[in-house]
Amino acid sequence: MMKNRLKVLRAERDWSQADLAERLEVSRQSVNAIETGKFDPSLPLAFRLARLFELPIEQIFSEEELR
Amino acid sequence: MQACSPNAAQRRLSRRIALTIPFSVLLAFVAAAAIHLWKFQGIASWSVAVLAALPILAFIAAVFAYLAEEKDEFQRMLHVQYLLAGTGGLLAAMTIWGYLEDFAHAPHLHAIWIYPIYWLFVAISMPVINARYR
Repeated sequence: MMKNRLKVLRAERDWSQADLAERLEVSRQSVNAIETGKFDPSLPLAFRLARLFELPIEQIFSEEELR
Repeated sequence: MQACSPNAAQRRLSRRIALTIPFSVLLAFVAAAAIHLWKFQGIASWSVAVLAALPILAFIAAVFAYLAEEKDEFQRMLHVQYLLAGTGGLLAAMTIWGYLEDFAHAPHLHAIWIYPIYWLFVAISMPVINARYR
């Protein structure tokens, strides 16, 4: 599983998981699964996240595996 | 099959399933009554049997339509896992039951029970699979 900075990026914007889920048009459960590294998003969803946070994908996700 | 508040695809699935259930019950009773009353034979009895199964086929089609329409990829993956767990549970149970019938004189299980048993395994798998993603 990929490591990600979603929780930090969300906190910087004062968004809840539900807020992010609404912006991405996915369930809060989906955001939680991605954020906790239990589910790796597809490339299209990763690009949507990158657009939303106005960051390159590699600044959100890193190759370092979560254990 | 919904784990949290339903999205549009999940609401459509619920509506479609809700439509098939009364027809399943109605056609099962009508088919049983028709066979009993008119003693259909051959192709007529086969036709009545297939007619009785049509709402079940519609139910299965509704589930496949949901998987095609679900835009939330995590939800889609979860539902595929539920269905696979149901399939695995059903295959295991039916294999064991088959041997029990052959070797231990267990009562014969009518094939019509396979469908509710499948959904029983799907239902059992849901909280287990959901717990992995909490």
